[in-house]
Amino acid sequence: MATSERLLQIESLYLYFRTTKGVVQAVDGINLELGRNEAIVIIGESGCGKTSLARAILRLLPRNVHKYTGKVFLGDLNVMELSEEEFRQHIRWMRISMVPQAAMNALNPVLRVGDQVAEPAIIHGGLTKREALEQAIKMFRMVGVPEDFASRYAFELSGGMRQRVAIAMALITSPELVVLDEPTSALDVLTQANIMNMLKSIKWDLGVSYILITHDISTSSELADRVAVMYAGQIVEVGDALRFFQSPLHPYSRKLMNSVPRLRVDMEPEFIVGQPPSLIFPPKGCRFAERCPQRFGRCAEDPPIIAQNGRQVKCWLYA
Amino acid sequence: MSSASSVAVGEQPLTRVKARSPWLETLRRISLYTVVRVIFLFITVVISVYLTILIANMGGYVDKMQEGEIAERVAMRIMADPVMRQLPVEKRNQIMEEMVQVERKRLGLDTPFFVRSLLYLRNALTLNLGHSQKMTSDSGSRQVRLILLERLPSTLVLFATSNLLLFFMSVFIALMLSRTYGSFFDRLIIALSPTSAAPGWFYGIFLILIFAGLLGILPFGGMVDAPPPPTPLEYALSLLKHLILPVSALLISTGAVSIYNWRTFFLIYSSEDYVEMAKAKGLPSRMIERRYILRPTMPTIVTSFALTLLNLWGGAIILETVFNWPGLGRLYYQAIGLVDTPVIVAETVIYAYLLAITVFMLDFVYALIDPRVKVGEGAKQ
Repeated sequence: MATSERLLQIESLYLYFRTTKGVVQAVDGINLELGRNEAIVIIGESGCGKTSLARAILRLLPRNVHKYTGKVFLGDLNVMELSEEEFRQHIRWMRISMVPQAAMNALNPVLRVGDQVAEPAIIHGGLTKREALEQAIKMFRMVGVPEDFASRYAFELSGGMRQRVAIAMALITSPELVVLDEPTSALDVLTQANIMNMLKSIKWDLGVSYILITHDISTSSELADRVAVMYAGQIVEVGDALRFFQSPLHPYSRKLMNSVPRLRVDMEPEFIVGQPPSLIFPPKGCRFAERCPQRFGRCAEDPPIIAQNGRQVKCWLYA
Repeated sequence: MSSASSVAVGEQPLTRVKARSPWLETLRRISLYTVVRVIFLFITVVISVYLTILIANMGGYVDKMQEGEIAERVAMRIMADPVMRQLPVEKRNQIMEEMVQVERKRLGLDTPFFVRSLLYLRNALTLNLGHSQKMTSDSGSRQVRLILLERLPSTLVLFATSNLLLFFMSVFIALMLSRTYGSFFDRLIIALSPTSAAPGWFYGIFLILIFAGLLGILPFGGMVDAPPPPTPLEYALSLLKHLILPVSALLISTGAVSIYNWRTFFLIYSSEDYVEMAKAKGLPSRMIERRYILRPTMPTIVTSFALTLLNLWGGAIILETVFNWPGLGRLYYQAIGLVDTPVIVAETVIYAYLLAITVFMLDFVYALIDPRVKVGEGAKQ
């Protein structure tokens, strides 16, 4: 999988917001790579900048952007150089689509869900309304939504069904990359597992790549090829999923893994002392140092990203 | 186990009813809903009209005023009659008393006020508007219906022009401003919105001073030139000239704040998740605006529009007075000044009916434009 063709390459991506309290450094110099047909999971606490990273990739910016720079290569094309209109026509839903955090509000309450799913196929695929609806129903079948739901409204669907509709919508134009922003966080455990399994089989069938943003480590482990851990606007560790889940490198990743309750291992879940740092005045040096049990003198300086047998970690312990 | 079986038992009768005849069931539900709604709205109208009758009659005090007027009138007539003046005082007083009683009977003042208030209520509700006490129409009629009908067109012309202009202008401009949040014009509208602190007639006075008094290019007031122009075209132009100042006065007073309100409203709705989703889907912004902002907000826009239409009827008391506009607002003002109860009650009754009908219609329009609204209890399934 590591040898697969590169699809996405993010180079020093920044996204800062202006607020009344100061500038929030939500995405602070992120570098990330993603291959074709690969799924990367981005894990982190609430407020670490995961969703902002997704927004930065999708160019879904709020009104109070302070700084938005960096390079985002999709194949060989730096999409950051495209104008808004070019980005809309050629990238949005053609090459990158998304499944939103809360599908509850992500569907227009007064349009039939079938029409909403079909819309991108009309706009980008140039299909007629009838063809697009047929295509939508095909997608419904794939994600396990009954066909006659196409003429229903969002409020007539259960949470799980809505999420499936959102996934059908994300896939209708067969994009190369789907950004999933906590797609299962509002669902019950059983539905979560169903949807994760479905996403997994779709990945094999259609050959799409996923960026899965979540704080739910246990459900995401099913899908992940690689894992990136985010802390205070930065990525502190990237590596392949198997080795990450067995032996995380960064002290924060270890703490994070130890906080997950396990079924077959007799182990008390731990918690991480203290609070995540403010993104307005992030601490100098290593941002996790304050809460780190293994900190030492060098932690006062900003650690570089260190390669460690094909894995990357931003920690002085491995220097 | 037991809970599962109880659910099944609970659901059974429901499915049976549905299976029997869904169309008949829907019809029954809708008609029941309609009847209940009509009854409630009618009760609202009755209460508001009865309150108006009590207030306009000052709780019966108007009767005392009328009796005083009758006594005065009778006394004057007897004093003016040479034959009467010849009679002895007792005889004269007796005749005077009889005449007062006849007059009281004629006006129905001999029955208690409470009984008569119910009679008034019945007349009002059946739109039997009756005769005014003091006011007359321009053609000299005392029929309240004619008095009102005479004033209606002039009020409609003024308020239809200004309110429809205001409504469509503010929705349209607000939609444009919501696209360019924080732009110069956006800030300008916010800065101008305190103009609504003063009512339209306040600006009207200054407009008259400037454009009629100082510059002399527009008329001081009234609806058309003093001898009304003979041809329809000239009449229309003259009307237009007279409309400019009152319409501007209303727009200056409420224009900015109305745009500001709608702009904030659209901004709130354009930050909904589904709008963002539509943007991520790469829909053109025109389409997002139409399908993702205007469609979901249609119920609110329609309500506001219906209430705007309703306002056309009321007129505006002071504005019409300032501009010497022969409309219903001024009529209301004059009727209150003269304590002409039938006119006051008639205007209120019609307004109450219009309001009730509008609210009733809105319920059904909602069901048409918003799929989440189902008439009756159907929304639960």
